Amino acid sequence: KMAALSGLTPWRRGWLPALQLVRRGSKAVTRHWKAMHFQRQKLMAVTEYLAPRPAVPPRCLGPRRETPQEDNGYARLLRRQVEEAFRDNRMIAICQYNSMPDEDVVLMRHYLRKHNIQVKFVLNEIVRPVLSQSKYKNLLPLFVARNILLVSPEAKVREMLRVLKGVPQVNLLGACIDDTILSRQGVENFAKLPPLEAAQGQTVGALALLPSQTSSLLQRGSAHLTALLDQHIRQLQTGETGSAAEPPPAQSSG
Amino acid sequence: KKMASKIRVVLRPVKSIVVRFCPFESDVESTRKFLQCINHKKIQATNRNCEVTADVRHDGSEPLVDVMFADGERLIMKGANLTTIEMLTALGTRCNAKELKEEQKSKKKKP
Repeated sequence: KMAALSGLTPWRRGWLPALQLVRRGSKAVTRHWKAMHFQRQKLMAVTEYLAPRPAVPPRCLGPRRETPQEDNGYARLLRRQVEEAFRDNRMIAICQYNSMPDEDVVLMRHYLRKHNIQVKFVLNEIVRPVLSQSKYKNLLPLFVARNILLVSPEAKVREMLRVLKGVPQVNLLGACIDDTILSRQGVENFAKLPPLEAAQGQTVGALALLPSQTSSLLQRGSAHLTALLDQHIRQLQTGETGSAAEPPPAQSSG
Repeated sequence: KKMASKIRVVLRPVKSIVVRFCPFESDVESTRKFLQCINHKKIQATNRNCEVTADVRHDGSEPLVDVMFADGERLIMKGANLTTIEMLTALGTRCNAKELKEEQKSKKKKP
């Protein structure tokens, strides 16, 4: 069957078998499944893959204890970032994030950045362990569903509320301003407060009211006496007639 | 098991939706997820006129979803013991029923 080898070279280039087995007109490579040669079929059947069976069926083995998941370095980094955010910033506002078109997200970030407010997207599974170990345990129930954090070193609440009013898909849930946890109502009240100097001035005025009242009460007697004396002098001066300038009736002054 | 974001609700017969909850309570998870799903692009695209408002309170009240339909009907869902999928399917079935009614009405009017 094979062509006769001739010459020194073992193979000739461009070698075609002299005899080609052709049966039923189909080639070796067909578009349909071609039935294998019977010998090949037998070989395939004998060499089929048999999956190895474990000696003891897995049902009989005891329950497997779940190996604790190793701490992911990335998770650790994110946790550290959240801790830093809570430490460095005076105001942290937590809002619920419903899906927004991307341009709106960018615009909102831009407007908040103008007031030095940073927007952070956080994952609940990272924030929850951080919060449960810090003193902010009461913020734990807020972290369900998608949230974003608005952090800022200064408490510009009025501007933040204005920006958030223009964005309906972000809902303010609560905030932690100066280590005080406030609800949404508390945040709105905080925004309505006057600035610190005005509040201080108001307090000083209220505190100084009582002593001033006391001092005016104490001086009332002598002030009354001086007023009466003045009036008497004026009467004497206007009424020129030499009526006896009797000394004014001695009044017991308090 | 179906994912809550896969449920498609046609909001055409809905006029407005008010979602009221108190985030410091512990049973608001399903209501918040419901609010999140409702604000999805595709569901919002079915009706641009539908206003979705979120009312965040701090008075310990239970989570509530108030849906006003265009024909004056009102659906109130108390989300304290409901899952998100249940709320979405309830809203979805009612919307579909109203859509069918409107289609039948318009078909009756035309010939």
